[in-house]
Amino acid sequence: MNHFEFKFRPSQSLIRRLWALSGIGALAWIAGLVAAPDRAWASLLMVSFWLLSMGLAGGFFVAVLYACGAGWAAAFRRVPEAMVAAVPAGAVGLLIVFLFHPELYPWMAGHGESSGFHAFWLNRPFFLARAILYFVIWLAFSGMLIRNSRRQDEDGDMAHTRRNIRISAVYMFVFGLTYWLASVDWIMSIEPEWTSTIFGMYHFSGMFVSGVAVTILLLIWLKRSAPLRDFVNEEHLHDLGKLLFAFSTFWMYIFFSQYMLIWYANMTEESVYYILRQSGALGVLFIINIVLNWGIPFLVLLPIGAKRTPAVLGAMAVVVLAGRWLDLYIMILPPVTHGKMALPWIELCMMIGTMALFVLAFLRWFVRAPQTPVRDPLLAQSLSYHS
Amino acid sequence: MSQFQLLGVFEDESALISAVKAARQQRLRIVEVYTPYAVHGLERVLGLRRSRLSLVCLIAGATGAIVKLWFEFWTMAIDWPVNVGGKPWNSLPAFVPVTFEVMVLFAGLSSVAALLIVAGLWPGKQPKLIHPRVTNDRLALLLEENDAAFDVGRVRRLLEDHGAVEVTERLTGEEVPA
Repeated sequence: MNHFEFKFRPSQSLIRRLWALSGIGALAWIAGLVAAPDRAWASLLMVSFWLLSMGLAGGFFVAVLYACGAGWAAAFRRVPEAMVAAVPAGAVGLLIVFLFHPELYPWMAGHGESSGFHAFWLNRPFFLARAILYFVIWLAFSGMLIRNSRRQDEDGDMAHTRRNIRISAVYMFVFGLTYWLASVDWIMSIEPEWTSTIFGMYHFSGMFVSGVAVTILLLIWLKRSAPLRDFVNEEHLHDLGKLLFAFSTFWMYIFFSQYMLIWYANMTEESVYYILRQSGALGVLFIINIVLNWGIPFLVLLPIGAKRTPAVLGAMAVVVLAGRWLDLYIMILPPVTHGKMALPWIELCMMIGTMALFVLAFLRWFVRAPQTPVRDPLLAQSLSYHS
Repeated sequence: MSQFQLLGVFEDESALISAVKAARQQRLRIVEVYTPYAVHGLERVLGLRRSRLSLVCLIAGATGAIVKLWFEFWTMAIDWPVNVGGKPWNSLPAFVPVTFEVMVLFAGLSSVAALLIVAGLWPGKQPKLIHPRVTNDRLALLLEENDAAFDVGRVRRLLEDHGAVEVTERLTGEEVPA
């Protein structure tokens, strides 16, 4: 049996439609640059960070699966593997922002006083060097994992699995550190006077829950459109549903941990962050953010049946993704627009375009290898899995 | 009146599952299945109703959360208001952590208690094993005669055909020789 039989070809009309949606996103950005340049740049940061995070979520998920020796997920591991394709695209978007619109960061534009460690950490050359370093580390580690996994398709050597377990253990540690620093660098430093030590963890929770949501949607789609029909069943969806439920609750836990300490201490330099985001129309979005990211998924995914029904689980994945968009919007846009609300057409169109771009990047990597790791030692266990 | 029973002992789970399927197909009364560990898919083959333990957990958790929320509101805002950092008496964010903990405590303890009560596992309970090895490396299926057409020889053959390594006849409530 030739493993090339397991290759998947997406239809041309699908690819054309995805490019058209990406084009709409790009047009929205260009129109935004004319109409409201500050918002357009902030929105580019937002969608690039989202795109990058989806790729990283895929790579991190693969690392966790290897490190845990998780048998259940081997059958669809090619999906999170191919999600890593979003990392380079997201990195390019972020570099465009850092290089061509430094005004987004007040400290880069030279506003405000800074001294000591603040001045040492937040300066342009070091900032850019760090960003490049993060990209290289992430791509190197997840690239190694994917390469070994694909080589195993050819030769079936167990040594690839053992090597990937070691790489995964190191990558999980390195990733936790670098993603935390990256979110502080790129998002928190938009308001350099404000600090939160849990910020990196907050972003990690958001990244992972939306990564699981995207994995669920891709699995449901690939199961319906054939490539994964014989490999994925409701047992796998059930476990992914549990992860979605758990990490949605984890997001709420971290959100509240950050919120409650700032609310309790009520120190001017800290509470200004929430005062800006809880006043006026933003205050409504602030509540909707909690409802989308935790309230609805928590209540709907409680019964066992919901996690095993693709339609319900998929709907919850969409809700979580909408919540992630809103979460990033509330984090990034208010300091740029000084809390003034406008119809977020730039941000919404760019997000839709970026999601299409994500699927395009995903498909590019997904079609390069068999859609299931054909010679993985855990594949048989995954195919007959009961959750 | 005591009923006649047949105990089939199996060495592996696939044999047990196929025997359970066959017994259900022939409408034999299955009293109980004994396994040393959770056998995946057995509950589906047996056609068991879903456990209601999660419902106990949900109700107890919700009760704990509501009671605790009310109690904190009553102590902090009604019975003995204390000014903490200039916050309003009734400050929901401050109540959340304890509410969460009490919810988990109620849900967890009630689930364990409900399980112990339903399974009849009170302190000092003497273990009664249907077969000395069902907690070790054997799986057992206990069938009972349900009507006059119950043919011991036929049922015994059915169990043996599906890989039973040992079939014993017994009466309801019969003590197992130690």
